[in-house]
Amino acid sequence: MIRRFSAGLAAPAALAALLAAAPAAAKEDFVLEDEVAVCTGCHGEAGVPVEPDYPVIWGQQYFYIFTQLRDYGAGRRQNDVMTGIAAEYDRDQAKLLAEHFAGLAWPDIPSQTEEGDAALAEKGITGGQCSACHGKWQGDSRIPRLAGQQAGYLARTMEDFKTDVRMNAPDKNSTMKQLDDATIAALSRYLSDLDIQ
Amino acid sequence: MAEWSSKASLVCVALVVSSAATAQEETSASTLYGDLQSVTQNMLTRAAGDGNNFLHTNGNYAQTRYYPASQIDAGNVRNLRPAWIFQTEIVDTMETSPIVVNGVMYVTTAFNHVYALDARTGRQIWHHKHAMGPVTTYCCGPNNRGVAVAGDKVFMGTLDAKLVALDAKTGKQLWETQIAEAELGYSETMAPSVVENMVLIGTNGGEYGIRGFVKAFDTETGELIWTFHTVPEDSTGVWATHDATGRDMMRDIEAEKAALASMGDPYETLGGGVWQNPAVDLETRRIYFVVGNPSPDLDGSLRPGDNLYTDSLVSVDLDTGEYVCHFQYIAHDVWDLDAVSPPILTMVQDEAGNDVKGVLHGGKTGHVYVHKADDCSMIRFSEAMVPQENMWTLPTAEGARMLPGANGGVEWSPMAIDPQLRLSYAINLHQPMTYTVRSTPYPEGKLWLGGSFDVIADEEQWGNVTAVDYDTGRIAWQVRTAEPMIGGILATAGGLVFTGEGNGLFKAYDSSNGAELWRFQAGAGVNAPPSSYTVEGQQYIVVAAGGNAQLNYKRGNNIIAFTLAD
Ligand code: HEC
Repeated sequence: MIRRFSAGLAAPAALAALLAAAPAAAKEDFVLEDEVAVCTGCHGEAGVPVEPDYPVIWGQQYFYIFTQLRDYGAGRRQNDVMTGIAAEYDRDQAKLLAEHFAGLAWPDIPSQTEEGDAALAEKGITGGQCSACHGKWQGDSRIPRLAGQQAGYLARTMEDFKTDVRMNAPDKNSTMKQLDDATIAALSRYLSDLDIQ
Repeated sequence: MAEWSSKASLVCVALVVSSAATAQEETSASTLYGDLQSVTQNMLTRAAGDGNNFLHTNGNYAQTRYYPASQIDAGNVRNLRPAWIFQTEIVDTMETSPIVVNGVMYVTTAFNHVYALDARTGRQIWHHKHAMGPVTTYCCGPNNRGVAVAGDKVFMGTLDAKLVALDAKTGKQLWETQIAEAELGYSETMAPSVVENMVLIGTNGGEYGIRGFVKAFDTETGELIWTFHTVPEDSTGVWATHDATGRDMMRDIEAEKAALASMGDPYETLGGGVWQNPAVDLETRRIYFVVGNPSPDLDGSLRPGDNLYTDSLVSVDLDTGEYVCHFQYIAHDVWDLDAVSPPILTMVQDEAGNDVKGVLHGGKTGHVYVHKADDCSMIRFSEAMVPQENMWTLPTAEGARMLPGANGGVEWSPMAIDPQLRLSYAINLHQPMTYTVRSTPYPEGKLWLGGSFDVIADEEQWGNVTAVDYDTGRIAWQVRTAEPMIGGILATAGGLVFTGEGNGLFKAYDSSNGAELWRFQAGAGVNAPPSSYTVEGQQYIVVAAGGNAQLNYKRGNNIIAFTLAD
């Protein structure tokens, strides 16, 4: 997993290591703005993340953000950076952060679709029955918005499900194993280019 | 001058005439149509013979979806035209069954919007948007299948697992009750049913490790009257090795017994949702409903035993919710080929050829099952309406192909019957899938399938409309459709059945032989059950065209009412 952050990100990686050492209970002297300032270092000042494989969290679903922070903190979702950060917050602090980011406007992400993506993506969507849960990709409550998400992050998280790295949504591992890498790549670009109605 | 004055007087006359006509229309509107009419128990009880209203999700308490009006018939249906189209605010999956009371129609959309419309014109009377809580956990789209009406109230179940009562005249909320915990996977997409002072409702959540139920709430206060748990504390059963049709389900009973001894009864997270309305028998004061799959769907290792009463027809006492009888179609199901389509009460022939009170259910397996209402026992099952292959191959880590795929057969889509022709009408899916198992512990409110169902993208998919003679179990007629079918069907005394498709086509067939008599392109998937009603002597057919989330059919937001062209 080091590979993800080896791409010249000395500052955030060091920050994460620092944070990972912090205690797991409620963070003392919790001031929302200060915590948010930490997040923006990676998730972007205006909502556009600093790296292509970092997720957009501005305008993401409240309950999804909350669940992910809890899952990182409890080790149900394993990630070198986020585990350490999220472990510092208790339930209520995680809720405040989730509320804050859910209330912001989703940013515009530059389109990257390639010819043939739509056809391949739609085949993957049919096979995985994705729309049964993801609907029109707008997200709802515990289901994340995927429309307009960063293609790099979508591809990586789908690969992480496929290779059993990401384990906090158990059925996704099985579903993603049915998709080949080309389909995952096409799906990621296709979703990143969608808007919500 | 003379000319001018004569013109003026003409105008005057015209004005008088037209205002008189308006006044008359308003009077008729307030006395006959569009005015609030209290829905009495008598109206609800006699709905099967009511050719003006459409008072229950499935037409009447027996859930026949057989509409008694016959103005629109096999001879004139070719003249059916849209009378009006109403567009809702939400462009998303629609499964609503329009309810019509004295010229006022109630429809719902995804995310629990409710509309009251003038059933003659489609004019909006009111619009209620449910204040959704922050946590919802549902499977298969943000659906809603409609309201129940009684007295001066309209009732709806919500995605955040509430039951709400609205004022039928204004749409204002009168009360709401939390049915169960949304965070743990409970949600509501079904329409409630009302009997006397009780609102009956089941729950979704078989994909999340809930413990299913049917509950009765007080129509006036929303207070809980009774709860029937669809999963009893002893869910073990009889260690059935064969399904209702006699096929070996390949269970490893010894391994299951060992698992039971070590882990105990899995009833607390065993699933058993109830997705659709019960049939109500007021003579015996019993209700009949079907219970959905066990949780986790594909992984039987965590839930030893027959997993009672999942995948079963169940009857309970209307007044107390106490168990009366059940019949399990598939014990220890690991394919999600469960029981969802609402049961129908009607007279059927038993094995000896005598007419007895019966219950019909269209299964995801593709069979129509025929039961005795008396003790739930099975009289017969129909020929398979869709291809079946490799039944029952157990799910594997790599994925095993078996037909039908996990959506059926008959999904949640209600069937209809024609009690004169003694035929049941079902819409079916043919969607080849692989079944993959992957054991994971209970994830506390997250999706818990225990693997995945994957559509084999290269194999052909299609659907059909199938009429079955329920006295013999033989297929009477069958019509192939281009795409797998989900939504519902309506039969009418005009010798017709109406049903829609994912590609936007809405069709009428001759109910005796399946001949297609009429079609309309709605522009979005027609994946909701049609209703019918009559206002001012004019019969209408109405259906929602909003597409479907589960099968990813083109979304829309139209309610379309059809009537005969003059
Ligand atoms: C050092 C960089 C960094 C910082 C600082 C950071 N994040 Fe993250 N965040 C990431 C990365 C990278 C991921 C993707 C991790 C993965 O794949 O699991 C992520 C994932 C997430 C997710 C999951 C998103 C999804 O779509 O699943 C949430 C929620 C989140 N971060 C919230 C926060 C919050 C809130 C803060 C501030 C308290 C924060 N992050 C600070 C880098 C960072």
